[in-house]
Amino acid sequence: MDAAANPLLSVDRLTIDIGGANVVDDISFTVAPGKVMALVGESGCGKSLTSYAMLGLLPPAATRTAGRIMLENTDLAALSERQFRKARGKDMSIIFQEPSASLDPLTTVGSQIAEAYRVHHGVSKADAYEKARQMLVDVGIPDPTRRLDQYPFELSGGMCQRIMISIALICGPRVLVADEPTTALDVTIQAQILDLMKKLVADRGTAIVLITHDMGVVADIADDVAVMYAGRIAEIAPVHDLFRQPKHPYTALLLASVPKLDDAPKTDLATIEGTVPTPNEFGVGCRFTERCPLATEKCRTEQPPLFDCGAGHRSACWHIDRMAEIREVAA
Amino acid sequence: MSEPMKSSKTGHVLEIRDVAVHFGGRGGLLGKSGPVVKAVNGVDLDIARGETVALVGESGCGKSTLSNAIVGLQAPISGSVRISGDEVVGASRRELNDIRRKVQMIFQDPALSLDPRSTVGATIGEPLIVRGVAKGKALKERVATLLQQVGLRPEHADRYPHQFSGGQRQRVVIARALALEPDLLICDEPVSALDVSVRAQILNLLVALQKRTGVSYLFVSHDLGVVRHICDRVVVMYLGRFVEMADRDTFFANPKHPYTKALMSAVPEADPEVQRAKQRFILSGELPSPSNIPSGCAFHTRCPLATEICSRERPELTPRADGARVACHHA
Ligand SMILES: Nc1ncnc2c1ncn2[C@@H]1O[C@H](COP(=O)(O)OP(=O)(O)O)[C@@H](O)[C@H]1O
Ligand SMILES: Nc1ncnc2c1ncn2[C@@H]1O[C@H](COP(=O)(O)OP(=O)(O)O)[C@@H](O)[C@H]1O
Ligand code: SF4
Ligand code: SF4
Ligand SMILES: [Mg+2]
Ligand SMILES: [Mg+2]
Repeated sequence: MDAAANPLLSVDRLTIDIGGANVVDDISFTVAPGKVMALVGESGCGKSLTSYAMLGLLPPAATRTAGRIMLENTDLAALSERQFRKARGKDMSIIFQEPSASLDPLTTVGSQIAEAYRVHHGVSKADAYEKARQMLVDVGIPDPTRRLDQYPFELSGGMCQRIMISIALICGPRVLVADEPTTALDVTIQAQILDLMKKLVADRGTAIVLITHDMGVVADIADDVAVMYAGRIAEIAPVHDLFRQPKHPYTALLLASVPKLDDAPKTDLATIEGTVPTPNEFGVGCRFTERCPLATEKCRTEQPPLFDCGAGHRSACWHIDRMAEIREVAA
Repeated sequence: MSEPMKSSKTGHVLEIRDVAVHFGGRGGLLGKSGPVVKAVNGVDLDIARGETVALVGESGCGKSTLSNAIVGLQAPISGSVRISGDEVVGASRRELNDIRRKVQMIFQDPALSLDPRSTVGATIGEPLIVRGVAKGKALKERVATLLQQVGLRPEHADRYPHQFSGGQRQRVVIARALALEPDLLICDEPVSALDVSVRAQILNLLVALQKRTGVSYLFVSHDLGVVRHICDRVVVMYLGRFVEMADRDTFFANPKHPYTKALMSAVPEADPEVQRAKQRFILSGELPSPSNIPSGCAFHTRCPLATEICSRERPELTPRADGARVACHHA
């Protein structure tokens, strides 16, 4: 994989503790310039914490207990808060899942977007506003000149989300971390935003870490996919290989639970019984054991390492050779 | 208009004729008279026993308003809504009470429809007590049966909502909605907030319940993959009006209205090969406000096929050779 050869961002054995449990446990992946890495998995799997850690924005309850986060040759985790703040916005940006929490309610959206630009580029206020206006056009907001003078409360949730996206993109960051950026948006707007991200990747070589639970979004934009389960990477692979030939039972079942084009209507979809374990329910073995149709005694007692299956495909499962059985369950 | 017949003759659990729902106009916020929001206009719809009709369209197009009008939560300014033959519009409170036995509604967020201080058993049993359908031992047995029907266990009756996962809570909501054996269940985005694996469980449940009880569904959703899986017929709504209506296979094999095509091309398919080969039909701009609906065809401000006549004359829903009904001058 060229991502391994020349990564822009590498997350190396990242581990995050909350209340004595490894809610993010030994996560590693790399993203090359101009590539999109998708992080997928059910709620509670540690996707958001992983993304916050990349920008030094972990909540107080969480501590990074091991691992490095490298932006080229800089270890971000070793930066001071001041240095980190400088890197955020210019080198790296984040789009949060919940826009209302991250916009300033007392400042017009125009100032918020323009300010994000002015902090890193010494331009006049007027130039920054023009740049902000153009950004609103790019994210598909009609009547941008009027919108610039409005406050967040005057805008719909979908509109606020696109303001957030504008702030994140206006400096042309080298790395963009996007946590469910389009989940709250209509599919028509989602398609516009995904196209905008693709353009960013193609034109500027931005590297994107995209968190989503929508397999359609993954299929649309990702180059590589890391499937997370209960804080660990279950499987990581180039996107085509992951969809065509999943090598972890969790991935296979996730894929099978999404209705397909050629499904007969009103037939049973594959399901995964039970729920993601909470951190205090983590066992010593594979964390998917309780829900896995292939689980054996070994799964319960020994944690499977990420086995290398070749061509950048890795899976943390003791029984990769029995995947055909899963495909039967899932069919 | 001819007097609609009782359901026993038409077999329809729902008959809607020329319904319009508007908001505002007189009074308005702080006594000012605001613009009239024309949320639903000129809508006709029949749903047969055991049929699932999907209602799709972008946020704000009037899906929830129409749903509310059907269950009598929102009074239309004109038109007729009949549930199994009984008129909802203009019904007295007592008549409405009787009609509501036959139509129930479930929403996107199960947390909002459950009282956190009531046990699940009390919540499910409430409609049965209120209507004097069952009490004492019979009530307990009925609640136990309902819990089992939705895949929960009788002993769950004593627990509180917070002791359940999101998917389990949606099951509780469904059990309550089914308690009075309604003819029609309106599902307003019932699986949108759920993880895919849980979503699959709920979809399987809805399908199984329909097979068992013959209940009809009006299924409001923006997820065309889910719609394709669960529905018999699809209705597309744009700015308060139906623009296309067809049975499932016709709809997905041969969508006709430009807006339908745009929606379909915007939904990412969970298959990288299919998704990346897909022909895109990107919409510019966004939904105009329903308080200022464009003249002629309301879609003309965003439609790539629009011509002069489109902004002048509103196209009516007209039948096509394959049975689809489409409102477009050029499709
Ligand atoms: N601020 C916090 N305090 C305590 N626990 C948290 C906090 N944030 C996340 N967690 C826990 O960490 C785990 C991973 O959460 P998160 O990264 O948000 O998952 P995801 O984004 O995949 O849904 C979950 O078990 C969650 O409950
Ligand atoms: N109670 C209300 N008062 C004023 N406007 C409303 C009210 N309810 C809905 N609307 C407006 O009616 C339109 C349709 O809304 P809604 O039916 O909720 O759409 P959908 O469910 O398709 O997203 C929107 O413009 C919405 O703002
Ligand atoms: S290691 Fe065992 S329990 Fe875990 S995914 Fe593989 S087969 Fe299932
Ligand atoms: S009537 Fe005209 S504007 Fe409306 S959908 Fe058809 S072509 Fe487009
Ligand atoms: Mg999250
Ligand atoms: Mg709605």
